[in-house]
Amino acid sequence: MLTSDQSIVEFKAGRAIVDRLTQSTHRHYLEYAESMLAIYRNGKGRQRRQLHREIELLFADEPDCPVRRIQAFCKLLDDRSIFRTDPDGKAAKLRLDVFSRVTRFHPLVEKPDRLFEHDETKIKAQLADDLGLPWSEIEQGLYADVMTYQALEQFEGYPNASALLSRYNVAQLQACLYRAESMTVVAKDDLKTILRYAKLAKLLHDIVRLGPSKYRITFSGPASVLRQTRRYGVNFAKFLPALLACKGWQMTALLKTPWNTSARLNLSDSDGFTSHLPPPDEFDSSLEESLARKFGPERDGWQLIREGEILHNHQKTFVPDFTFRHKDGTQILLEIVGFWTPEYLAHRRETLKQFRHLAIVIAVPEKSLREGAHIGKNVLVYKTTLKLASLMEALERIRTEKSSR
Amino acid sequence: MTYISNKPISLSFNRGTLLLAGVGREKLPEIFCPSVWAWDSRVGALRCDAIHYAAISAALAGQFGPSLSDEVPKPCRVHLPKVKLPRLRPSQIEALEAWSKADCRGQIIMPTGTGKTEVALAAMARKKIASLVVAPVRDLMYQWHRRILAAFDYDAGIVGDGLSNIKPITVTTYDSAYIHMAKMGAGFGLLIFDEEHHLPGKCRREAAILSTAPMRLGLTATAERSDGLHKDLDWLIGPVAYHMPFKEAEGSTLAHFEVVRIPVTLNQREQATYDRCSRTIRHFILSRRKEQPNYTWRILCKESGSDPQARHAQKAYYLKNSIESRAAEKLRVLEDIFRLHKGQQILVFTGSNAMAIEVSRRFLVPTILSHTRKRERLAVLENFANGAFPVLVANRVLDEGVDVPEAKVAVVIGGQGSTRQAKQRLGRVLRRTGSARATLYEVVCENTKEVQRSRERRRSDAYERPVHRRV
Repeated sequence: MLTSDQSIVEFKAGRAIVDRLTQSTHRHYLEYAESMLAIYRNGKGRQRRQLHREIELLFADEPDCPVRRIQAFCKLLDDRSIFRTDPDGKAAKLRLDVFSRVTRFHPLVEKPDRLFEHDETKIKAQLADDLGLPWSEIEQGLYADVMTYQALEQFEGYPNASALLSRYNVAQLQACLYRAESMTVVAKDDLKTILRYAKLAKLLHDIVRLGPSKYRITFSGPASVLRQTRRYGVNFAKFLPALLACKGWQMTALLKTPWNTSARLNLSDSDGFTSHLPPPDEFDSSLEESLARKFGPERDGWQLIREGEILHNHQKTFVPDFTFRHKDGTQILLEIVGFWTPEYLAHRRETLKQFRHLAIVIAVPEKSLREGAHIGKNVLVYKTTLKLASLMEALERIRTEKSSR
Repeated sequence: MTYISNKPISLSFNRGTLLLAGVGREKLPEIFCPSVWAWDSRVGALRCDAIHYAAISAALAGQFGPSLSDEVPKPCRVHLPKVKLPRLRPSQIEALEAWSKADCRGQIIMPTGTGKTEVALAAMARKKIASLVVAPVRDLMYQWHRRILAAFDYDAGIVGDGLSNIKPITVTTYDSAYIHMAKMGAGFGLLIFDEEHHLPGKCRREAAILSTAPMRLGLTATAERSDGLHKDLDWLIGPVAYHMPFKEAEGSTLAHFEVVRIPVTLNQREQATYDRCSRTIRHFILSRRKEQPNYTWRILCKESGSDPQARHAQKAYYLKNSIESRAAEKLRVLEDIFRLHKGQQILVFTGSNAMAIEVSRRFLVPTILSHTRKRERLAVLENFANGAFPVLVANRVLDEGVDVPEAKVAVVIGGQGSTRQAKQRLGRVLRRTGSARATLYEVVCENTKEVQRSRERRRSDAYERPVHRRV
């Protein structure tokens, strides 16, 4: 992530416009990105300040490039680099050694005279002799532990020039969110992922249902109800890549400008930002995917809705994998439990207890069951995949029970 | 959704705030000090900032009786293996008593070098309760660690500099305190804010707001801030309990001192570049102001992204700055000062890390920079103290409070013109060391903006009395 000093954002009529390099506006930046990657790829052994200087020179004649953009690029390149650090404190030892050796010659003067006879150049040459190294090497090592003097060891890099530009665009959005006081997301799909990652980013939420499968979720932190604070800006920034990887959402963040006024940042999944975040729990989704495919849009009067409902009781939320709605209005929720640890299952049971007034069917893999476990009547046990027939049977049984009650 | 609960009422610490659960929203007006509370529908409880804990906890206990369970972690008593403090001077005793009388919530304002740290250590020894010391930079944090070790034989915890080791007595920096207070805000009974003028900043103040600590002590030589935010220290810490004016200190505990300004001229090439840059900026701004009378530097920076001419002017400005701070002539002047004071300990302050390293590489003298590790820092300071190292170069990290023994001569190269910095820097050379006069050299570039900064510095009251001499 970038620092606030590298953030470029313009505030116009209460809206935040974040710096973005696109194909249509900044086609020529692809070439710059290529050159920047080349500088780092060929930069092994060079000092950080030298690399930064080269990137700077690259843009010397580019009219469309603020200083902050250059610094941001340097940061993103450094983020994927390993620089030689000085864990054994070699530089510090060298310094103490060198400085102790010359104290008796202090001060080293430019032009010696009768009173001060210690010529800078001569003493340095003599010191190099004593240590058995050329002076240039000693001078290089003297401050090798200072960030800007560190040498590049390895550059992990970005797959290609456009990947660097994509990362830049997302990083600028993130840096803009450091100013955010709250964030509101209106979401239709991927509710589960959105909530899960917000929780990982330590955000609190407030959920309002806007319509079938449509929710407004407001994210903020504990102290946000007491005063406006930018304390959670970093949390919003950490959460953003996950949001960008999701589908069907719109986001508005409330920001504080440097002039202490308010502004909004608006974003949606159609803005075309690409995130480097892998989808969470691929196992989970592949199992769900196959069931949804087999079920089809409608079957025996039942309709399947993916991740349709958020059940919430304060900060405890539960988004079942599927909602089944019968044409007579009966609604049954299905949660598929993958292969999990006993602790996870116990935690899941606790959550479900809070929502036991609802009709929830749980599908559990046979392997996850303890020996001789008591199987509740709303629990379906499956071997490798959930069988449609047993699912339909359970749905019908619960519906008849409900209507007869 | 309204929250109705039969659960008992509980007060707990939650990430820098207090949660009062089991009390419905409608009860809010009846609760003690309703203005500090807010209903948090996200968790179905009342919430307030942790700083209010001392004010509300007793009142809530009175109001709800045994049905209230106070789950906020209480600060523990601290066992100090030993207490070895120097005898406090009368002014220090006065300060400590004034703070105690103010319910242990207040600020002590004393000039640099008059023993604020000792007053704080005495307060810790008297209270023997879990305490957190917040210092501006890492060096000062480590210094507090050493002082606590020396005074109490207690190895304090450290939060900051990549460490997160919380103990009943812990030292940290303002930046780390801002980040971690949400986590550690409930464990301490006493907060000590060293150089408290750093606290009221927009973010940093949260270090005080997110903590439940009932006792708070702020220390500084100069509480004023140009933005006026120092007024907030009255509620973040407590009102000023004791104030010793600067002039009272001079002559009694501080040495006499003299300020010598040495103007240096840029070499021909530097001066030519400098003048060219000045012209570029002036022409650019004048031409813009013809169309846009209130054209400012801020607009220029904004436009520098899209306007090559604005960018050119911006670059000229940065180049000018770098000429000012790194002029080769300054190194030559420094050589003269080193010759003049051969045999005396000299402190050199620079305006930047880069300049500090440059001085170090030229004269092969040690530096203390913000990233200097503990072991090296100790070795350098010790060798400087015992006279083995004749010179110590530092960037701004030595500005405040770092104990530097026995320096009679200081040189300032570059640096900004704020009153506070001038006072802090003077404090370094003015420690009581016999009757010898201390000297502060200011090396500034002639015909540049630095001269003006130097004049600004001298306006501060610290400079009113001493003799000024031009070389």
